[in-house]
Amino acid sequence: MKRLAILLIMILTLTSIYGQDSARLAINGQLLTDERLLLKNDNPWAWNENRLDLKINQALPGDAKFYSQVWIRNIGLPQIGQMSDLYNKGIIDPINLEIRQAYVQVDNFVLNNLDLTIGRQIISWGTADKINPTDNLNPLDLEDVLDFGRRRGADALRLDYYLSNDWYIEAVAEPFYRPANLPIGMYADLLDPQQFIKLPEGLTMASFSQTLVMPGNTLSSQFVGGLKVKGFVAGFDFSLSYVYGRDYLPLFDTLEMQVLDAQGNVAVDANFYYPRHHILGADFAGNILGIGVWGEAAAFLPKDDIVMTTVLHTVDMTQFPPQPVTITQDSVLQQKGKPYVKYVLGADYTFPAGVYANFQFVHGFLHERFAGALNDYYLLRVEKSFFYDKLKIAPISGAFVVSDYKDLKNNYTLLYMPQIIYKPNQNTEITLSLGLFEGQGNDMFAALKDLDLLSFSIKYDF
Amino acid sequence: MKTKHLLLVLITFLLVMPLGAQTADQILDKVDQLTSAPKDAKQTIRMVLTDRNGREQVRNAIIWQKGKDKRLIKFTSPASYKGISFLSLPNDVMYVYMPAYGKERRIASSVRNQKFAGTDLTYEDLQAKSYKDKYNARLLKKDANQFVLELTSKERSQYSKVILTVNKNYLPVKAEFFNRGNQKVKELTFNFVKSGNYWYAKVITAKDLKTKHSTRMEVISTQFDTGLSDNIFSIRFMKQ
Repeated sequence: MKRLAILLIMILTLTSIYGQDSARLAINGQLLTDERLLLKNDNPWAWNENRLDLKINQALPGDAKFYSQVWIRNIGLPQIGQMSDLYNKGIIDPINLEIRQAYVQVDNFVLNNLDLTIGRQIISWGTADKINPTDNLNPLDLEDVLDFGRRRGADALRLDYYLSNDWYIEAVAEPFYRPANLPIGMYADLLDPQQFIKLPEGLTMASFSQTLVMPGNTLSSQFVGGLKVKGFVAGFDFSLSYVYGRDYLPLFDTLEMQVLDAQGNVAVDANFYYPRHHILGADFAGNILGIGVWGEAAAFLPKDDIVMTTVLHTVDMTQFPPQPVTITQDSVLQQKGKPYVKYVLGADYTFPAGVYANFQFVHGFLHERFAGALNDYYLLRVEKSFFYDKLKIAPISGAFVVSDYKDLKNNYTLLYMPQIIYKPNQNTEITLSLGLFEGQGNDMFAALKDLDLLSFSIKYDF
Repeated sequence: MKTKHLLLVLITFLLVMPLGAQTADQILDKVDQLTSAPKDAKQTIRMVLTDRNGREQVRNAIIWQKGKDKRLIKFTSPASYKGISFLSLPNDVMYVYMPAYGKERRIASSVRNQKFAGTDLTYEDLQAKSYKDKYNARLLKKDANQFVLELTSKERSQYSKVILTVNKNYLPVKAEFFNRGNQKVKELTFNFVKSGNYWYAKVITAKDLKTKHSTRMEVISTQFDTGLSDNIFSIRFMKQ
């Protein structure tokens, strides 16, 4: 509530400062209600989100503007467990405030055609649809795993220099690193690190503790930066990019296992960190024979060897008296300087009857890392609009995921998410969709198989 | 004598045929000269979309035009459409920008027949290109008040032909669009007025004959020759 009050004061101050120029102040936004219920287990509510997305755009003197995007949300179901909770509105009606973006943009800064943007911003790189391997300047927002490709704002300084309409250079510097936020609610277990721990045969995890080592509090540790050149040649848009970044998801550094008893119970202690890497990216978009095509690839080169150290403390019972034994094993996940490549190839086409089809092949999803752990995703959406976009039906929408072609029946996921979108008026959009999941194996989406759902959302733009 | 007659007929035929073709081109030239006369223009427009039951939706937009081949259309309201932009540049380059995605998208030729933002106009219709550059013309009819031209696209198009009616002042009055099956599918009517030295279409009404849906675009305000910068016709400006 305190932050909400600060925000309101900020808005009022801003409005009063520029009150004399109110014609240049624009406040827009969206109200969203997103409700999902599971189709199994007596239909419990699985997701409840009510969001006010507030956008403020204020033209400033000169070629400048202020822009902010703030989410004020009530998300999740109230976690009321005790009588005392009923005295706390924060528990009964939890409100969450998130400043997604807040920046000042100055056009023609120092030089003509040079734009400076400073503040929290979302920098979208890449030509693919939602899944952009070259987009590595904003932390992943994995809160809702079905909202593919959502990212949070990063505090950054950005310079865009337009050489011509077809060519520009973009440079980004971020002094503060921010990690990804993980899935919540019914998706909370999907990236839980415990499920990725493979214990030696005969051992059972009795307890789990973890330590997350964040980058040091220095500029050199926190800094993330990138450079991109974008151009247009032979009918194709393309770009080349470089990012000096960090993984947005934590990675096992050490895994220490202490055998507790003769039954094989172990206490597991994990250390996580965020490895550094260089990312070389390239993308293109254009059309061939009337078909829209795009492609995007990013090569991730670790700055140092990425090694996971497993330490097992046990007792050698063959000795008398039994002797403590420590076994250490290093697993190289990716060697320094050796890249692993994620890529996307896509195409879309509108058939004469107005049926729109969009296909993407993705090698390596947003959360996947290292050469041996990248899965293949075949995404397809077919939709048709009726009554001048008032009604849109997407009977085919989803993905087929393959994590091992050699043992396909045990390593696949099928996501089927048909949608009906209805616009009763220009500013309102009602969406009804199904999410049906079937899968086997270790792929993250395979874990959705017990979470088939019916989803209903209303958006109102103002 | 017979030879003389034949020669006369041949000379007349040779003279008349190119004259007929030239006349259609000349008419189209004059139409282009009048409709693209300003060096640049900035117009505020109000669009009223009406469905077959008479239900209306209102949208507002700004159109910037420079020369014959640069055009930017940006919606200013309602909120759900605000910021959606269409940019047409020389060499058949067209972009659409949807603020929700934060990225521009080049318009592939397969989607040029798609309607822009729920209006009755497709990306092909909105492309900034002179009639002369876009079409081959044939004069179908000519009388004291008007010319009727048959236009066929010089490039791949959703239309097999366009029948353009031009008044005696060389201003378009009506354009009838025929699909590949030679069925009339759309009709545009123009209401030109003069402002200063220039004629401009104060009202354009596009009607989809199949769905009975129409889009009426009325110019609310217009400014000519203000020296619009080339920077306006850029992805940079489109995204701002």
